[in-house]
Amino acid sequence: MALFGRQPIAPLEYTRKLWMRSWVGATLLFLYAPLILLMVFSFNDSKRNVVWKGFTLKYYEKAFANESLVEAMVNSLTIALLATVFSVILGALAGVMLWRFRFPMKSAVEGVMSLPIIVPEICLGVAMLIFFARMDWPTGLPWPLNLSAITIAHITFCFPFVAMVVRSRMASFNREQEEAAKDLGASEWQTFRDILLPHMKPGLIAGALLAFTLSLDDFVITFFTSGPDTITFPVKVYSMVRFSVTPEVNAASTILIILTIVLTAVALKLQGVKGIAETH
Amino acid sequence: MSNATFGGNKLGRRSLLQGLGVAAIGISFGGLAGCSKPESGAKDAKIGGTGEEPKLNFYNWDTYIGETTLADFKGASGVDVNMTLFASNDELFAKLRAGNPGYDLIVPSNDFVERMAAADMIVPLDHALIPNFKNAAPEYQDVPYDPKRKYSMPYTWLALGIGYRKSKVSSPPDSWKVLFDSDEYKGRIAVLSEAGDMFRLYGKYLGKSVNSLTPEDIKAIEAMMIKQKPNIKAFHEDNGQDLLLKGEVDLVLEYNGDIAQIMSEDADIGFVIPKEGSQLNSDNLCIPKGAPHPKNAHAFINYLLDAEVGKKITETILYPTPNAAAKALMPDSYKNNQAVFPAAEVLAKCEYAKFNPELQPKYEKAFTRVRAA
Amino acid sequence: MAGALQDWRQHKRPFAAIVSAPIFWLVLFFLVPMGIVWLYSFGQNVGPAAIEITGTLDNYKRATEWLYLSIFLKSLAVAALVTFICLIVGFPVAMAITFATEKWRPWLLLAIMLPFWTNLLIRTYALMMLMGQNGYANKGLGAMWDGASWLRTLVGLQPLEAWTPVQLLYNNFAVVLGLVYVHLPFMVLPLYSALDRLDKSLIEASLDLGAGHFRTLMKIVVPLAGSGIAAGVMITLIPALGAYLTPDLMGGTDSQMIANVIERQFKRANDWPFGAALSFLLIYAMFALVALQSLRGSRAKVGAH
Repeated sequence: MALFGRQPIAPLEYTRKLWMRSWVGATLLFLYAPLILLMVFSFNDSKRNVVWKGFTLKYYEKAFANESLVEAMVNSLTIALLATVFSVILGALAGVMLWRFRFPMKSAVEGVMSLPIIVPEICLGVAMLIFFARMDWPTGLPWPLNLSAITIAHITFCFPFVAMVVRSRMASFNREQEEAAKDLGASEWQTFRDILLPHMKPGLIAGALLAFTLSLDDFVITFFTSGPDTITFPVKVYSMVRFSVTPEVNAASTILIILTIVLTAVALKLQGVKGIAETH
Repeated sequence: MSNATFGGNKLGRRSLLQGLGVAAIGISFGGLAGCSKPESGAKDAKIGGTGEEPKLNFYNWDTYIGETTLADFKGASGVDVNMTLFASNDELFAKLRAGNPGYDLIVPSNDFVERMAAADMIVPLDHALIPNFKNAAPEYQDVPYDPKRKYSMPYTWLALGIGYRKSKVSSPPDSWKVLFDSDEYKGRIAVLSEAGDMFRLYGKYLGKSVNSLTPEDIKAIEAMMIKQKPNIKAFHEDNGQDLLLKGEVDLVLEYNGDIAQIMSEDADIGFVIPKEGSQLNSDNLCIPKGAPHPKNAHAFINYLLDAEVGKKITETILYPTPNAAAKALMPDSYKNNQAVFPAAEVLAKCEYAKFNPELQPKYEKAFTRVRAA
Repeated sequence: MAGALQDWRQHKRPFAAIVSAPIFWLVLFFLVPMGIVWLYSFGQNVGPAAIEITGTLDNYKRATEWLYLSIFLKSLAVAALVTFICLIVGFPVAMAITFATEKWRPWLLLAIMLPFWTNLLIRTYALMMLMGQNGYANKGLGAMWDGASWLRTLVGLQPLEAWTPVQLLYNNFAVVLGLVYVHLPFMVLPLYSALDRLDKSLIEASLDLGAGHFRTLMKIVVPLAGSGIAAGVMITLIPALGAYLTPDLMGGTDSQMIANVIERQFKRANDWPFGAALSFLLIYAMFALVALQSLRGSRAKVGAH
């Protein structure tokens, strides 16, 4: 590890102090021990995660051969991508609105914007269930239109997060730039595109990633808005592990974890570690 | 965003992203790599004999179908069965309550058949389309929760009892007393978290019918539950067989089918229906209102009730089958399994619980008090 | 904020262009659905699947009974404890990330976040697998116990009695541990973000002037990171208060939390009006918390100028 340099420890290099390292190490052990155990048991030759009975790869074959699991994954990703795009647009607009304008009932609007974060999931789920049923929202549409109800629900709880990020990012914007652009004859739209948007970009990226995550892992609200053709990965996993976790689920999770690690590492390398650090 | 000013809550939400952001990149690539667009197989399949689009949306419990049943049905009829899973009757009911999002066939338990029929959520079945109904054992052809089987067809039945680890008990626990009213197995017991079932079984222990409890009974039972609570390790969410198998507890209140499944894995597990009698449950095939493919659903129900098909399902799920013709085809090891088929004199003391809209909230509230006590 | 706010009346067209879409969305797809549930909280069940909105306050009356209030207070206490533990555990971790080299910082952040990317239910089951009666946590403790026993015999003492597995699951301890496990990243990130913006020369000055590390931490770092701590507390407390899966799966007989009660009303009890009333009481309470927090935030800001 590069953390272990050879120079003497300066007062502020807390990271190089032993107690600090052990503390971080212990925390990481606490966070990772269960996941490592889960990965190890995905190779266990037994139907249940109780005792080690021998090495096997059969649950990986099973997970890959499980069409509905793969289909659920595709649905999840499609929904997450759509929800992210719409949340970023809506969130950016809402963020700019709160940052830029003074208007009547502003604090009420702000309060309502924070509500989707506070409302108990089950309550929002039931609300969405009733809403789509009352609207007679069409079901049985061809893919991907059949994902519309879930996507709408996801956008609803994702975009307020984006709005918050964008708003705090915009706080550091220098208004004079905008005015200068307008003085030079730029239209409202040109100013937005060439001045505001570039400044907003890191906030948009961060917001997009957050929306994507939230959407991808949501179970409760998705459960209430999904139909027979619109099973997502969390809903599928939930119904598979309600009674006991089979090594097949362990295997599927392990694949996901490994993919996440590898691809995040690649992304960090490609985009440059520094670039990402600056984004935030 | 490093030089942003912020106040209050926004700071937290925003900075959460930083980490999320870094890690999200992985997922976004990760997911895409392993996936392709699902094919819409239904379109090019041949039209089934029912005149409907050859498709069926089956909403079932997990591990509740034969390994090849769906593929076999597709081979026989051309209908593509899309099976999705629910984890409890409550979930099923909550999801269909506001309207049917497109399911053709569901598998509610007996009291939920009653509840859904009362709420006009399931449709009467056309018996002419289900000739295999004759395969059902006589006692399942007419049941108290669905007279003349107007709305439902039998799929499995279950009885609640005590699953136990033989090497850890002094004698087979043949009375509810060990779970409900004794500290003999303190800290080694798990019971159900479903309020209604718990109160009704306490009623059974007290010598009452599961359907005759009064508010006074509920009060008395609540006091008993609070008294027994220190001896209980957990209220389980119908995963009691897992707790028993892992050695977390030595006695567990569970359904016979669930315990029968783990008995095949661990010879040290036993099951008994207490002498006071117990509560029966039955899972049934029903067609929800607004089902897009009701004819296919009838055809599939008829197929599931076939003797050979029923045998294959039973071989996988090991639950007691109400299908007499299928049972006849099963090996003796199954037919003579006391856990799967308890003796007739024990069964005689078991009852179905009726759906009772007045008492259910009372059970819930009393049980919430028990948990909070 | 840089620059003054614009009044909407002077910029009607851009205002309309920017405002209409998010407001439309929020009203149609959030306020309307939540409004229906809010109306349900003034209704009553008239059949297994029918609710009549009668304007009754009964549901709220029931929801404010001591039984439910006590469960709410207990949940609040559990959530507060979880938040406190997360703070104690997370603060040094956030410090470590802050003072790590440029190269390592993103990786450390990633390491904290990565468990977040596994499904919550799967993570909970993994933790339960570790902590079970015959799980590896118990086996590890057992091995340590045996080791200690062996050491005692070495120095001629009586060996310890045989190891009996500790009850790690199905009690309130398990719920708190499980919630800490799930919510720790929520705490670390806001803390990191606050500490990262700290002027490090202040710490150096304090150390140069002879204050110890602990004293510097308490007198300089903690006050300056105050807003980050507050944000971390909120962002951990709110989801912890709404947690239902962890208490359901890892809790013992008395581990129910308010979200479990709410969930049961919507599912098992099939009492949506009552579930709606409980939900809205929780929403009001959390809203008050958030309002209090942002009030404090704005006051702190005023004080700083």
